[in-house]
Amino acid sequence: MLSTDSYAALLAQSRNAGADFAEVYVERWRRRQLRTIDGRVEEATSGIQLGAGIRLFFGEDVVYGYTNDLSDAALSELVASLASVRGAGDDVGRPDAAGRGGIDLRKLDAGPDVHAPTVPFEAHDKRWRLERLRELDAGARIAPEIKQVEGRLLEWEQDVWIANSEGAYVEDRRVRTRLIGFAIASDGSETQTGHAGPGLSMGLELLEKYDPAAVGRKAAELAMTNLRAKPAPAGTMPVVLGNGFGGVIFHEALGHLLETTGVARNASALSGMVGQQIASPVVTYVDDGTTPNGWGSSRFDDEAAPTERTVLINKGVLESYMVDRWGALKTGYRPTGSGRRQDYTFAPTSRMRNTFVTAGDTPKEKLFEGIEFGLYAKTLGGGQVRPGSGEYNFAVNEGYIIRDGEIAEPVRGAMLLGKGPDSIKKIVAVSDDLSNEPGMCGSLSGSLPVEVGQPHLLVSDIVVGGEA
Amino acid sequence: MKVTEAKAWLLARAGERGVELEVLATTDRKLSIEAQKGAVNDVSLSSSGGIGLRVVTDGRVGYAYTEELSEAALAWTLDEAIANAELQEDGSVTLPAGGALGRFELVDEGLSAPLQEKKAATIALEGKLAADGRVQSVQYAGYMERESEVEIASTTGVDGAFRTGLASLYSALVMREGDSVKQGYERDAQREFHQLDPGRTAQESLRKLGRHLGAKPLATGRRRAVFEPDVVATLLALFTYAVSGKNLAEGTSRLEGKLGQKVASELITIVDDATLPHGLGSRPFDAEGTPAKRLVIVEEGVLRSFLHNSDTAARTGQANTGHAKRSYRSTLDVGTSNLLLLPGGGVTLDSGVLVTDLMGVHAGANPITGDVSVQAMGMELVGGEQRPVEDFAISFNLFELLERVEQVGADVEPVAGFSGFAYVPSLAVADLSFAGS
Repeated sequence: MLSTDSYAALLAQSRNAGADFAEVYVERWRRRQLRTIDGRVEEATSGIQLGAGIRLFFGEDVVYGYTNDLSDAALSELVASLASVRGAGDDVGRPDAAGRGGIDLRKLDAGPDVHAPTVPFEAHDKRWRLERLRELDAGARIAPEIKQVEGRLLEWEQDVWIANSEGAYVEDRRVRTRLIGFAIASDGSETQTGHAGPGLSMGLELLEKYDPAAVGRKAAELAMTNLRAKPAPAGTMPVVLGNGFGGVIFHEALGHLLETTGVARNASALSGMVGQQIASPVVTYVDDGTTPNGWGSSRFDDEAAPTERTVLINKGVLESYMVDRWGALKTGYRPTGSGRRQDYTFAPTSRMRNTFVTAGDTPKEKLFEGIEFGLYAKTLGGGQVRPGSGEYNFAVNEGYIIRDGEIAEPVRGAMLLGKGPDSIKKIVAVSDDLSNEPGMCGSLSGSLPVEVGQPHLLVSDIVVGGEA
Repeated sequence: MKVTEAKAWLLARAGERGVELEVLATTDRKLSIEAQKGAVNDVSLSSSGGIGLRVVTDGRVGYAYTEELSEAALAWTLDEAIANAELQEDGSVTLPAGGALGRFELVDEGLSAPLQEKKAATIALEGKLAADGRVQSVQYAGYMERESEVEIASTTGVDGAFRTGLASLYSALVMREGDSVKQGYERDAQREFHQLDPGRTAQESLRKLGRHLGAKPLATGRRRAVFEPDVVATLLALFTYAVSGKNLAEGTSRLEGKLGQKVASELITIVDDATLPHGLGSRPFDAEGTPAKRLVIVEEGVLRSFLHNSDTAARTGQANTGHAKRSYRSTLDVGTSNLLLLPGGGVTLDSGVLVTDLMGVHAGANPITGDVSVQAMGMELVGGEQRPVEDFAISFNLFELLERVEQVGADVEPVAGFSGFAYVPSLAVADLSFAGS
């Protein structure tokens, strides 16, 4: 987007102002969103997002600024403002002579882009997209109780250019597509909802991989299940967590605690525990930014570091945190290509990519054996965690009672809660049916696409919030 | 191009192509400062914005936005907006006719203090927090200010602008006492920098979080509950889903057909007041240029009005209440300005559980049905004493809960939440489901 000379000049100016490290991040997105309700267009919108974020390190201190004005003059003024808010009267780092001679940028090559779309952003007209959402709508009409169906198609094409004062320069294009079905079922007295939402790093070929009608049907089936569900029981009980989006429990209760953003501030309940047994030995937990077409994949992170597959927990032993540049500087841990941000309006922090518990060898059916009374949390909704205390909570979207080792009647409104570091010790068995699902994760550096995943898991006891 | 030129360019092109166009432009300036260990360690500043287009052609509406103001980008954006409109089969939308609204200044010199003073306030906040022996980590201690210039213009004559802003101090803490560890957030937002007080924010942060240390598990059962203003603001934000004219028009409001009927205890009066003097959410007009006014939503338990913009008003046959909400990146919605729950006779703190904080409301609450099941933090009320309790969730239906309110607090607190600004007292209900151990 900018010329190589522009990047080099901004980085040199930053170094001359005393910055120990400088980074220029430029981004341009094109987005489309189409939303239908009952097959009619409810909302059609498109947009261009464009901006630059400049980050300067003074030792471990960081100043960050962004603007939509990408002229050389405006960006140079931003660097000057950042240096000035840092303050001449403060203890600024001294100009580094090496920074004065200009910065020799070298483009990093990550090889072929395994996530590249096969259908380009300009392909098909809007009418074609609308027809796909109408197929989703038709697929959801499985019962007279289905009162309303919403379909959504999201298309993102994000181009990023990142240059830093160490001479690294990368260009990356991230194309993501997501199809979401949302169904409302009502029998006159009760109203319940269900949704399904596949998404991957690819173009509109997503709709060949996931038949829109099947996505609609899945959302509707969940709404129908919840309609006949009884209020969930409350209390402490064994819980079998479903595969796929069931992995959100680990995302919330474990993943967030392993980001150096919290670890470095000693604000994670799992700070300083590398090499220690922190989870049950049946748990191996991985964060992989390289999964081909993964919703949370990219070739480079948002700090110009190549992404990688990071084993976080190996057989219960903590092996690595998720480490961004600032986290590496602060903690000394090896960077893992985990610096991510929603867009140029955020400085990057350490974040998850595609994070999952690896498969075990227990057949799924075995997990239920011997449970007199418990909860099968087949699919989960979102949740929240306080990394300092590890306290988490999340909603069960589709739940069933387990009675005498059998999956019994559906229940709704259940909430799982507890402390992550306790719960991960209580995982007693892991099945062999790993799957991943897309979601959006909100944290300090904004809302990001991530995958969560796991096989079916048995947790010996979790507090279930429901109707007392 | 600059914003003013881009606006004029777009309105002219829209005229040539025979479509109606409304342009909403926002320019934001933000500054944030964070401190650690007695010094500023993180500063962020920005100026950014963009232009949002709402096109109407033959009654059909389409949106697009751009932050790139080149002619090529503006042309792509207008093309997309028109194509998005043409995708609809039919429609009866019209842009509201308007006139010159003028330019309003809501910030004045409120944020003009020197940078050094803002840094000093941030450092003072961090220092006062870190000085407490129970604080294991000050994750964040920060200052944030934002100024926004909002401009709106349309081919149907609307033309106006206003500048607004706010300043806030915030903290995120981890506190420990023995084995008990608690984490919490606090934020104080004001119109002007000089209304902030690092000492007050630190004290509130430490009091609100520190009281939970040493919490004991709460047994499962039904009890009386008293909700603190922060929690009440969250519940009200959830309630606004049901009074949104947009959700009414889309058929997802649980309060459809309930105008004039009793939907809450007679102790409950809910107002949205965009004209509240010095209110954090005050504005001279909404996102379509409709002048602001005070709106009674629920009066002594009776539903008096939904929140409407011009479109939802037309679709439901109700009056436009001037609650259009839109950022340049989003489509037209409705939203609150300053949401008020009027104070009552006071709440008694002699029995039950004082609910101080809800976690995971975005996941545990269904705004359509009103079913809520969320993890909470609180204090058990035993006689005149408050004892911290943990590891429990509360479950209720919001609409039933509002009908069962037995007391409303006498003192209103401002709450600057993620979903807007509220001025609310505490609430008490006689009987609530608590799930614990």
